[in-house]
Amino acid sequence: MDNAIEAINLTKYYDDLLAVDHINFEVKKGEIFGFLGPNGAGKTTTIRMLTGISIPNEGTATIIGYDVQRQPVEAKEQMGIVPDVSNVYNELSAWDNLIFTGKLYDMPKTYRESRAEELLKMFGLYDRRREKVQGFSRGMKRRTCIAMALMNRSSILFLDEPTSGLDVQSVLIIRDLIRKLNRQGLTIFLTTHNIEEASQMCDRVAIINHGKIAAIDTPEKLKRTVESLQSVEVAFEAIPPDALKELAELPKVSEVVKEGDKFRLITHDPSSVLASTWNYAQSNNLKLITVNTLGPSLEDVFVKLTGIRPATMKEELGKTDRGGGQSMGQGRERR
Amino acid sequence: MKDMHSSHLGREVRVAWAITVKDMLTYYTRPPSLMFGILFPFSLFLSFSIGRNAPLATQIPILISQTLFFASSSIGPVVIPSERANQTFDRFLTSPVSLLSILMGKTLAGIIYGAGISVIPVLVGIAFFGSQIINLGALFACFLLSSLAFSALGIMFASIPGQTPGQVMMPLNFVRIPLLFISGIYTPIRELPTWMQAVSMLSPLTHTVELARYASGGETFFGPILNIIILTTYAAAFLFMGIRFHIMNQRKE
Repeated sequence: MDNAIEAINLTKYYDDLLAVDHINFEVKKGEIFGFLGPNGAGKTTTIRMLTGISIPNEGTATIIGYDVQRQPVEAKEQMGIVPDVSNVYNELSAWDNLIFTGKLYDMPKTYRESRAEELLKMFGLYDRRREKVQGFSRGMKRRTCIAMALMNRSSILFLDEPTSGLDVQSVLIIRDLIRKLNRQGLTIFLTTHNIEEASQMCDRVAIINHGKIAAIDTPEKLKRTVESLQSVEVAFEAIPPDALKELAELPKVSEVVKEGDKFRLITHDPSSVLASTWNYAQSNNLKLITVNTLGPSLEDVFVKLTGIRPATMKEELGKTDRGGGQSMGQGRERR
Repeated sequence: MKDMHSSHLGREVRVAWAITVKDMLTYYTRPPSLMFGILFPFSLFLSFSIGRNAPLATQIPILISQTLFFASSSIGPVVIPSERANQTFDRFLTSPVSLLSILMGKTLAGIIYGAGISVIPVLVGIAFFGSQIINLGALFACFLLSSLAFSALGIMFASIPGQTPGQVMMPLNFVRIPLLFISGIYTPIRELPTWMQAVSMLSPLTHTVELARYASGGETFFGPILNIIILTTYAAAFLFMGIRFHIMNQRKE
């Protein structure tokens, strides 16, 4: 049994709406598997079916070979779950939250207490273990929630948007922790819409869109599928008013995206665009402060597969079509 | 094999009890529990009892029945929507325990709450108003079966997919309040017309009132055996329907 998770023909309807459409995938033991998709694509519905919260209309999900619907107790013993909302008991202390979780898994008293102590120390919460969780910061609640998911020494950890809405320090702590847990042999199933996070952390990613799996592969292999999407990133000391329009008119530039104080010129021929950008700067007396050539990123793959893309020149200039697009605005691969 | 079954059963019982204790610690003192479980039955009792000629000792069974009814049936509608709102109910659904044990744990929290509060009017009645408990067995059956049936009623209503106690309490009160008027609380059943007596027999609250009266030496219309049979039937039916409705919710989730 090499697979930690198998989804076979998994399907979910909400009345007439087909939220998850006969999806198939497997997650190997010891992998960090990313599940990417725009809002409403079916990520959380899938995780809810895999963890037994929701019953699929069709198909099956197995956890270490146990059918989640037919052998729920065996399957659920193998998993820990961190949902998108930190579902801790605010009225209880951090200690009581962990102890109660241990009771739900019927862990013996001495074992659950030693495990709770170990986890609270690992997550830097031990000194505040007697405080009610309602006084904790969002990052601390998230850490408590992850600690609760690890109480039963599960072999698979489901994380639904684990870093969403957290401050930078908490994000870094949680990412580091996920990597550590994975090195200890834990299989991680991670849903996120943070593409950079998925690119940095995951061994493989699946992209789900409109309830269907659009692609599954390693981040690098996925990037290779859109190798033609290269770009030149430039920043000027002072931005001329018509820069967006004028840069778009340069030869071999197919599209210009403004990203903060930088412009990204999408092209098949970065060397030609570099030269023409240099000429443009010279002729307009502009001082270039940044020039980078960029390879395709996982975001480009995501954009290509889902149709969701950052604001383009047309949208920046016209600002007429705000409803259709969802800006992702993530980092890119520098070359 | 037998050991496996007994250990599995033991595990389910331990987890159900852990859920009960957690609910007791977390929800017993929440304002909706206090309001619908304690204030509501006591206020109703006072508003209907003050000014009546009947001696208070004869009205204590009414207060016992009302507190059993309201307090037991209020815990599920407070706990489950609150847990649904902050997604802590999902914790149970993802833990290795059956839905039956989860709901039994919650039902037990309602039973302890209802029965615990209803002991107060029994003690107050004996201490201050000359009430007597003639049949302790009938009182025990009244407490056990009524709190079980009404707690299960609350759990069944809590399957309504709301995220605030009010979303469940409102439809529940559409059932609870009319039951007060057909259950022989304010008008003795033998004074009702025949068709109303038949309707009254269908109300579980009727049988709680009857058993409470019987325990304190009063008369019963349907008899304690029928009271026990009907309350047991309702308890089983509410539990069964509650589980079915919660499974239906999971299919819709």
